[in-house]
Formats: sequence, C-alpha cells, structure tokens
Amino acid sequence: MNKFFELPIFGVFITLLAFYIAGTVKQRYKFILLNPVLVAIALIITFLVAFDLDFEDYNQGGQYLGFFLGPSVVALGVLFYEKYRQIQHNLVPFLAAVCIGGVFSIVNVVLICVFMNAPDMIIKSIAPKSITTPMAVEVSEIVGGVPSITAGVVIAVGIFGNAFGPAILRFLNITSQAAIGAALGTAAHGIGTARALEDGELTGAYSGLALCVNGVLTSIITPLAIRYLM
Amino acid sequence: MLKSLFYIFLFLILGEGVKHFFDIPIAGNVVGMVLIFFALKFKIIKLEDVKPASDKLIKYLVLFFVPYGVGLMVYADLLRQHWLVLVVASVVSTVFTLYITGFIQQKWDKHE
Repeated sequence: MNKFFELPIFGVFITLLAFYIAGTVKQRYKFILLNPVLVAIALIITFLVAFDLDFEDYNQGGQYLGFFLGPSVVALGVLFYEKYRQIQHNLVPFLAAVCIGGVFSIVNVVLICVFMNAPDMIIKSIAPKSITTPMAVEVSEIVGGVPSITAGVVIAVGIFGNAFGPAILRFLNITSQAAIGAALGTAAHGIGTARALEDGELTGAYSGLALCVNGVLTSIITPLAIRYLM
Repeated sequence: MLKSLFYIFLFLILGEGVKHFFDIPIAGNVVGMVLIFFALKFKIIKLEDVKPASDKLIKYLVLFFVPYGVGLMVYADLLRQHWLVLVVASVVSTVFTLYITGFIQQKWDKHE
C-alpha cells in the first residue's frame, strides 16, 4: 500500500477527524445509537475498507492514542477519590452491591457462553464486558482474549445500558438514585455513567464510583473465574 | 499541568512496576489507579497537584479507545460466526447485573 498511509500521523489525524465529526453529529441529533465512539469507529472502518487499507497501517498512528488509556485509568483513581467523600456514609451497602453485581456479571456471562458452546477465545474476550474499555482490554490481554473484540463488546454493552438501563430498572422497581447510579456504573461502566450523570449529581457520583470499584474487582476476579469456570 | 502529568505517569510506572516485579495478573494501570487513590486519601499527594492532568485525561478518555474499536475490523469473520452468543450473553448478563446491583443498593440504602 501507499507509504503515506503508514505514517503515524495518518492514523492519528483520521481518528481525530472522525471523532470530531461524530461529536458534531451527536450534538445535532440526540439519538442514542449516534454515540460518538460508535460513529467514529464506523467512519474509520468504512474509510479503511473503502480505500483498501489495512488495520496495521492505521494502527501505526492509532496506537499512540491508545497508549493514553494507561494514564487515563490512573486518572480514574483521582476521580474516585473526589467522589468518594460524597458516599462515604453509605459505603457498606454500596460496596456490597457493586461487588455482588460485579462478580455475578462475570460468572453469568462466562456460564452463558459455556452453555452456548462458545470457543474459549470468545469467552475470554467477553468476560470483562462490564468494565470500562481501558481496563477491559488489559484484562482481556492478561487472560488470553482478543482486546479488540473485548473493546467492541464493552462499547456495545455501555450503549445498551445507557439507552435501556434506566427503563429496565424502573420496570423492575429500582427507583432510588443511589441504586440506579450503582447499577449503571457496575453493569455499563463509563457510557452508563454518562446517562447516570443526566439523572443527577448523586446518581452520577454513585455510577462513577461503581465503575472504578467494579473495574478493580473484575481485574482481580476474571483470571480466577476463567480458571475455575471453563 | 506538567507536575500533575508527572504524578499520573509516576503512579502508572509504579503500578506497572508492582505488576512486573510481583508478577500479579492485574493490569499495571489498575494497580496505579488504586495506588493514586490511597496516596490522595492518606495525603501523600494533594488533589490540586494531580487534578489538572487527570481531568483532561478523563475528558478525552473515549477518544483513546477508538483505535481498539477499529481493530474489530480484523475480526469481522469471527464476529459474523459468533454474533448470536455475543449478543445473548451480553444482553442477558447486563440486565441481570443491573437488577442485582440496583436491588442490593436499594434494599440496604441508608438514605430512604
């Protein structure tokens, strides 16, 4: 292929461009499937396929952006500290809810996959589906999954939680702000938290904290769950 | 800003170091996140010393995982083959997780 497209700046530029376009589209039409990440990914893949370019060419630059996921996860620890004071009085129920929900999520998804005869590689990729993408891709890599499949599933789960989470919870009689926040953060990580923030500051704080706690928990539990359930 | 960025990378490299030297199966960045939380909680570092960089990183977090999402194109055949299990497992497990977490939090809540 043309050497121009192997320059790192190509991958970085097209990602920024696609992300900018996706953000503009999102502002114009408030429709959930127009999630900026989803739209940006779709635009880039369409471009690469249309011009017959390889993912490897794109990733010469893409990897530089992906690198910043590492420090971003550390930054989540700072966010956690800021929100922590808001829920300190309610810490025990919160930790119990997130830990039970988080462990359940892993066990449940692994068992469904085993039951449906999915190949090992799919199970390992989908196990950390409830935690934020930067953590999930690391977990996936550690247990032997495919980070890209994990990223796709995680983003899809987040969008599902964002779009339908509050309605599902209301239908199941979950109405307290703390409960909606904890549930969205535990099951649908950052994209779910975006929805929780629309609901209110308290819901958002619970959701952001749940995302951090479940991220740590899932990082620890997933390798064990894979070992004993598969 | 530079100081706060330094702190973020300091805790990232500490986390990676802990993972590497103790050989634990937890991502280095997650270890770094836990370490920076406790460093803040025990007042080893000040919030205003890390906040400028951490706020910026979190603001653009979603941009950084776009390249991983684009990586899906390499696995198009695999996804076509296994889409049913991926969809069923994700949806069923997400609904259950939402409910169980929300239920416990609501039941034990100290607000209401």
